[in-house]
Amino acid sequence: MHTMKRAIAVMALATPAVLGFVGIAEAQDKFKLGMAVGGNTCCEWMKAQGDVARAIAEQNGWDYVELSNNNDPATALKNAQIFVQEGVDAVIQFNGQPSSNPAISAVMKQANIPIVTYDIADPGMYFVGIDNLGAGIAGGEALGKIIKEKWNCEPDLVISSEGAGAGIVNEWRTGGMRTGVKNICPDIPAEKYVSFEGSGDAAVALQPARDLLAANPNAVKMAVVGINDGGVLGLINAAEQLGRADEVIGWGQDGAFITGDNVNPHLVGSVFYFLEGYAVYAVRDVIKPVADGNTPPLKADAGDPASKVQPCPVTAEQAKSVPDMPERVAQLLAAPAGTTAYDLFCPNKG
Amino acid sequence: MSVNQALDTAPPAAPLKVRFGGLGTGLILAAVWIALIVATGLYRPDFFAQQTLLAVAFTMSIVGVLAIGQGIIGMSGGFIDLSQPAGLISASLVAVRLSEAGMPFPVVILGAILTGMLWGGFNALIIVFAKLNPVIVTLATNFIGLAALYLVFQLAQVPLNSDIYVFGRQSWLGLPAIFWPMLALVLIVGFLVPRTRYGRRMIAVGGNRAAAKARGISLRATRFATFIIAGGFVGFAAVLFAGTAGPFNPSSANTLQLNIIAGVILAGISLSGGRGNFWMLLLSIGFLSTIPTSLVFFGLSSDTQSIFQGIILIIAVSIDGYRALRRTP
Repeated sequence: MHTMKRAIAVMALATPAVLGFVGIAEAQDKFKLGMAVGGNTCCEWMKAQGDVARAIAEQNGWDYVELSNNNDPATALKNAQIFVQEGVDAVIQFNGQPSSNPAISAVMKQANIPIVTYDIADPGMYFVGIDNLGAGIAGGEALGKIIKEKWNCEPDLVISSEGAGAGIVNEWRTGGMRTGVKNICPDIPAEKYVSFEGSGDAAVALQPARDLLAANPNAVKMAVVGINDGGVLGLINAAEQLGRADEVIGWGQDGAFITGDNVNPHLVGSVFYFLEGYAVYAVRDVIKPVADGNTPPLKADAGDPASKVQPCPVTAEQAKSVPDMPERVAQLLAAPAGTTAYDLFCPNKG
Repeated sequence: MSVNQALDTAPPAAPLKVRFGGLGTGLILAAVWIALIVATGLYRPDFFAQQTLLAVAFTMSIVGVLAIGQGIIGMSGGFIDLSQPAGLISASLVAVRLSEAGMPFPVVILGAILTGMLWGGFNALIIVFAKLNPVIVTLATNFIGLAALYLVFQLAQVPLNSDIYVFGRQSWLGLPAIFWPMLALVLIVGFLVPRTRYGRRMIAVGGNRAAAKARGISLRATRFATFIIAGGFVGFAAVLFAGTAGPFNPSSANTLQLNIIAGVILAGISLSGGRGNFWMLLLSIGFLSTIPTSLVFFGLSSDTQSIFQGIILIIAVSIDGYRALRRTP
């Protein structure tokens, strides 16, 4: 009797331990994806990138760890170290402050963890993203055609709403748009091109935009380009406040403010990147093969990327058929695996 | 006659300082502002145009209303409210949501003001009852507020062609419509503070807490009311902000803080309490709002304005410190 009691007690004590071991073994077998979102409060797509990655990870039965880079290079590096401690099998990041990318690459290489980076290339990371310069040029050319048709390539000003904090991406996008305008209207004098720092935020861009307009009181035909829709809208709003909105046309980048019921009529076009859906490309071409044990060769160059995102330039009229971001995320997650937002939503795909 | 009655009926020395003490500050500010305007106009004659006036007046409007709130906090001895950005965005979000719901403009204004007052009350609760340093508390509540807002929304904007949107783009008598309420509020507050019971109590508490307590003034009640009233101004500034900003996110108001604090100090409103003249805000905020516009006319990039604003803030804080030192027996 005494022995039987002891046996039951031993079994009772051993059961949780056995279950624990099984759980640990399962957890160790489970693929774990780390995601570092950009964490800049400027843009709702940064949060959406995490939401989509999480949903895809869940669909694949993976564990998922999400951290925010807080738009800060030191935080991004610290996050990389946390991912290593967490034992993730692969990482996706968007790091809008890429100065820490070489250090992050080194951390990941030492831990033998493949890392995907969005839009800003680093030699040690799989590049998934758009050709920012190409997207900038495409948008600029589209705007250039309107300038040609509307003003016979003779605008008073071509205004750039810069976002210097984004570094090289700003040069690619905003500079690319200027290049695109020049491709269509090569004879616009250099002094007609002026810039202001709009930080990619419509509210922040407002005051410097008003000052720029005040300093150019005789300009009546103005075209605006910028790092994103928000920066371009900042100047359009400023022109409305100074009673000069009819003199402005803007073409943005990222498509953040060209969908829905609240589109400013002076924003005549934008370039959709469908940034919220980048995880589809990253998982399809890098993460899933890694999870399946077929790690692809490192492709870190933006010119020869691991996965290339197609830009989608649209006029405001064409954009009316594109759902807003929350709806796009919902439709993207309901679509068959590997279907991209470009496939689903771009109204003029080739 | 009780001590309280005496305090309420006979303005003591501090309010007299409030009424007349800013004259020297005002003359200096006006001279510097005029010098800046003349210098820019000589360099670029087209500076003297209505477009410049509109640009400067727009910049003054929101900062001006927020500076009233900040000035009230400072004058009552609360030093600085660092949570204005979070309060402003919270109230702006309420204004957006009420506009989206098709509410009449007065309801939108009321909703934003009440939200601002609630925000002020939240700060006051912690500061007054936990007896904590207002600077630290408002710094913390700003972080908390912005983080909470980020969980609630990413971007918001008032509907195109709604009343608030139209108001944000209208001009009256050659100046932005949003400028006139700011002007009226500065004038009214500047008139009322030294002439009303609450105003005199606020100044007394800011000037000498021990003396105010000895006179029977409730420090708690005064401090509480101060934060709630200041929050009301933040709420009203949110109406102007939501009407003009276009799409905004939780961080969009962070850049305003430097100008507001510099404006309050330059106006001679002591952050350590008890001194100041709200009318001087018109000069200090006008001067600070002209600087970035002038820089652009001089051909300098608009992002260089932060350098000038930083330098001016250091000078202003030094002047405030010097004034405080002179007053110390």
